[in-house]
Amino acid sequence: MEFAWTAEQEEYRKRVRTALDELLPDDWDERYVPESYASDLQVEFSRDFCAGLAERGLLVPHWPKQYGGNGADDWCHFILNEEMKAAGEPRGPQYMNINWIGPTLMTFGSEAQKEQHLKGIASGRVIWCQGFSEPNAGTDLAALRTRAERVGDHYIVNGSKIWTSYARTADWCFMLVRTGPGKKDITVLLTPMNAPGISVTSFPGLIKDGHLNEVFFTDVKIPVVNRVGEEGQGWKIVTHALSFERVGVPRYHTGLQALHLAVEQLREEGRYDNDPVIQTRVGALASKFEAARLLTYLVVDQRVKKSEANTDSNLSRITSLEATTDLMNFLGDVFPNGLAGGNVLLEDYYRINIPAGITGGTNEIQLDLIAQRGLGLPRSK
Amino acid sequence: MDFHLTEDQQALVSALQSILQDHGELPQGERLSYAYHHSGLQALLKASGFFDAAREMGALEAALIVIEAARLPVLVETGASALVAPMLLPANEGVDGPVALIAGRDLDKAHRNLPIATTALIDLGDDVVVLPVAAGAIETVKSVLAFPYGRFRRAPDLGAGRRIAGAGPKLRQWWRVAIAAEAAGAADSAVNFTVEYVKQRHVFGRAVGSFQSVQHRLVQCHAIARATYYMALRAAWSGESVHADMAACYVQQNVGRLLFDLHQFHGGMGVTTEHLLHFWTYRVRALQAEVGGVNDAARSVATKLWPAPTVAQQGRLVQAR
Repeated sequence: MEFAWTAEQEEYRKRVRTALDELLPDDWDERYVPESYASDLQVEFSRDFCAGLAERGLLVPHWPKQYGGNGADDWCHFILNEEMKAAGEPRGPQYMNINWIGPTLMTFGSEAQKEQHLKGIASGRVIWCQGFSEPNAGTDLAALRTRAERVGDHYIVNGSKIWTSYARTADWCFMLVRTGPGKKDITVLLTPMNAPGISVTSFPGLIKDGHLNEVFFTDVKIPVVNRVGEEGQGWKIVTHALSFERVGVPRYHTGLQALHLAVEQLREEGRYDNDPVIQTRVGALASKFEAARLLTYLVVDQRVKKSEANTDSNLSRITSLEATTDLMNFLGDVFPNGLAGGNVLLEDYYRINIPAGITGGTNEIQLDLIAQRGLGLPRSK
Repeated sequence: MDFHLTEDQQALVSALQSILQDHGELPQGERLSYAYHHSGLQALLKASGFFDAAREMGALEAALIVIEAARLPVLVETGASALVAPMLLPANEGVDGPVALIAGRDLDKAHRNLPIATTALIDLGDDVVVLPVAAGAIETVKSVLAFPYGRFRRAPDLGAGRRIAGAGPKLRQWWRVAIAAEAAGAADSAVNFTVEYVKQRHVFGRAVGSFQSVQHRLVQCHAIARATYYMALRAAWSGESVHADMAACYVQQNVGRLLFDLHQFHGGMGVTTEHLLHFWTYRVRALQAEVGGVNDAARSVATKLWPAPTVAQQGRLVQAR
């Protein structure tokens, strides 16, 4: 066992931090972060920022060289993710392109799709959104209803998607559609968001601007060449895509950073150094985030070693979520105006994490998976 | 980073598990006990050299021994003998085990492992006293906790022991690592024992373990045990006191959840001593308040991550207000 970073990894982290220093504007914290990473402002900024990362070889370092990467291991990729999240995720929605859309196309995409989209993603200038959820199909994707009917060399798509972050500004949508009546008749279409018949409506919510959109498809013509894999391969492709998200968001990293901000603010207000109760809560929170960090690193280590997928990734997610939720409650306890004109970075942390237990598979699904696949408990009836 | 055991570590664990499996059985006559210290197994582990692992291999290996031994329902005192004492005392100085770890401010109270101890390490704050425990000096105290408990019949003469100046912080650091390691092993066994029980036990025509409310809480207990395992090992590996604080703080803040849920899922069987569960859970409960418990551990974490401002910084803070 070894719990330290290598000299190369430390050096790599420095490189990433240097790039952040060079590429982020001086008013990043004040102007951009409060707008959240799904806002139009940040999404547009990500096109230049990611292009800058690409120039420095830091956008897709873990991709194979043939697709513009450096073949770096998962630790490098994860260090990159940690630093980007800690900086407020200036890659905006492009973290999806890099983490799973690109790698999924490498496996299932046609040569033409690879040529077009992998190059686009590696340039850092293309925005994607994810068209999975529908008004009646969230975690239960088998219930999705958006239909694609084959007419010659096109599909005609009708239906709607919801909760579609970044849809307003996206160039492409990695979309699941129903191509038959069976539970698993699901197909992936790469849909240009400027196709006639697509309309996007944003609606307000508890999270920051840009996260909540509904996308309507009315007789949208999508060429058959935009289909990924075969008809009915959607389940297989999505399962593969989500396996790239095994590690998930490094919430412990942003959590510890938010906790640090909270301590600084409490200290400035004279409410930290003489308050053992607050110090106790802070230490307990930091310990929970550290537990989450170790369980997450365990999963990265398994990926690097090409170990068979198991439920440790789900364990790391539930542990991270618990720490995150505890921190949100702590912020609610100690900052009466935290969500009303208080520290903008802490408000951003809070609001971005409101759906933390839902995105990427609900907490309950994670718990089910660990119980049944990890502990071998019988399925609930 | 490498979360896998090396070949040497794996060999150590396998050898230990083999001995524990062959010699660690709970005698039939002790099944209803609150605690059972297996003196034969204790002697065997000592004779086999497992208590020398900290010095010969490292603290992480010693922590692995503590974790593995804690998986048994019978007690073998390893936390203090195999981990804390070797990390605290000079390399040429050994102690006779079992060892009891004692908070000096509570000298007159009952202490874990004192009835079986031949040596006590007494935390006096700044200093530590290494005190031989004389036969007959201890009276046993009855406890539901799954360790032998006892107190000194009369106040011990600390002058009869050897005082190590300035060793208090180091003692508390390794004590916390030992707490986390022992809790990790015991909690993991308690979770596994409960998982097997809820698969077998049926209510309303279905296995208890098929209820989602049971599954979800059991998974949370599993997560606590698993995270504690890595936190304990990381703290042993790094030798950083903040990692020790975090490991103890994490498991001590979760003891309540482990105890309630694991006993709850056993229903009535969970309140008997006919079941083995209490041997693990009430060992974890016993560790909950040691070295100041979660509150002291948490404050120690906070102090190390966010140290008090210097006088100059304080001045600037006051001005800013």
